[in-house]
Amino acid sequence: MSNAAAPLENDSPPNENSATAEFCFETLPIFARQIENVRDQTEQAILALSTRFRGIVTSLDGAVAASQNVSGDGGRELTSAMDEGRQQLLKVVDALTAIRESRAALIGEIRSLGVYTHELQDMAKRVEMIAFNTNMLALNAAIEAAHAGGDVGRGFSVVAQEVRHLATASRETGKVIGQKIAVINDSLTHILGANEKVTERENIAVKDSELRINTVLEQFGGMTERLLGSAEQFRRESEVIKEEVMESMVQLQFQDRTGQILAHVAKSIEELPVVADSLVATGSAADARRAAQDYLAEMANSYTTDEQRRIHEGDTAGAAKPQAAEFF
Amino acid sequence: MSKRILIVDDSASVRQVAGMALTRAGYEVVEATDGEDGVSKLTGKLNLIISDVNMPRMDGIGFLKAVKAHPGYKFTPVIMLTTEAGEDMKNKGRAAGAKAWITKPFQPQTLLDAVSKLVIA
Repeated sequence: MSNAAAPLENDSPPNENSATAEFCFETLPIFARQIENVRDQTEQAILALSTRFRGIVTSLDGAVAASQNVSGDGGRELTSAMDEGRQQLLKVVDALTAIRESRAALIGEIRSLGVYTHELQDMAKRVEMIAFNTNMLALNAAIEAAHAGGDVGRGFSVVAQEVRHLATASRETGKVIGQKIAVINDSLTHILGANEKVTERENIAVKDSELRINTVLEQFGGMTERLLGSAEQFRRESEVIKEEVMESMVQLQFQDRTGQILAHVAKSIEELPVVADSLVATGSAADARRAAQDYLAEMANSYTTDEQRRIHEGDTAGAAKPQAAEFF
Repeated sequence: MSKRILIVDDSASVRQVAGMALTRAGYEVVEATDGEDGVSKLTGKLNLIISDVNMPRMDGIGFLKAVKAHPGYKFTPVIMLTTEAGEDMKNKGRAAGAKAWITKPFQPQTLLDAVSKLVIA
């Protein structure tokens, strides 16, 4: 074409430039609104996510505190309660043992009674013997009274007869005493025999109680240990999850930066038709170029993040990293 | 009695992260969505203020100046928490009376350390 070296704005017929500009003016605000819409949606979604994450962290805080109550102070309380329970139950065994010992002492007393009953038995036999001898003496006296004859012999015979009656009564009483003592002896023997059986059963019961108490305490001890272990494991894992969720919340801060960048891009796109109009209005291509450079410089000054500035300069820019605080 | 901190930021997700970190550390948190809202929240006891820089209606530097001009809060320390990392903006913040500058994204512990260093009784 003969006019190839002419300025660009003269390459196309005026009506074609105007149609292109009109197309741009109509489409660019649409792009801007689309970007703004994406930015809004992202912001809402990130806000909803971070709100839920915050809820998760709060719930985990509660769960960790609850498991801390079980595995920490609560765990110590549980162990202490177990020890206290063990002491109380062993006191029951001690009480049973004390009762058994008291019974043994009582039986000792009953056995010593057996010695006295044997002595009483001998005494009863001696009473019978004395009554027998007395009776023999009274019989001899009666014979002598008969030899004597007369009033004296009759009087003496009456006395001898009365002495024989007393001796007979004494012998009967001695027999009854002996029988009663035999009954008491039988009862004592029965009591001692029954006690031996009770003592045997009592010994078995005390040993069985001790065994059962220890078994139950061991089972509860094992359960407590497992419970404390589970609570501690739950607490540790909850802490790990909580840290992960909190770190995810930190990562969600990207929305604040990308939102600002997108808002800036959308605003710039919105402004572009007006800027383009003003560039066209400058007249010469050189003025338009200067005005464009001024606009780009103004744009660079309006950036809020480092990555915007780096991209503007033609560099690449990755995600920003957290930095230390700077104190003034 | 817990210490009360005002967070001024137009980004709800940043308010969430900062608010959660501070609440978990035992502080009471008041939130504002921009500088103007922040000025309206300058009531009652405030032991520290955290503010963004780029916000609609009133930006962080304007809010900082309003705080320092307020007789009840001119001695309240202000931490700027912002995506702005340029030295010019930092100098504006320093000149207006900010005590610290934290660039986003931030680690909650970084914010907590700065708060515990600057918070007043």
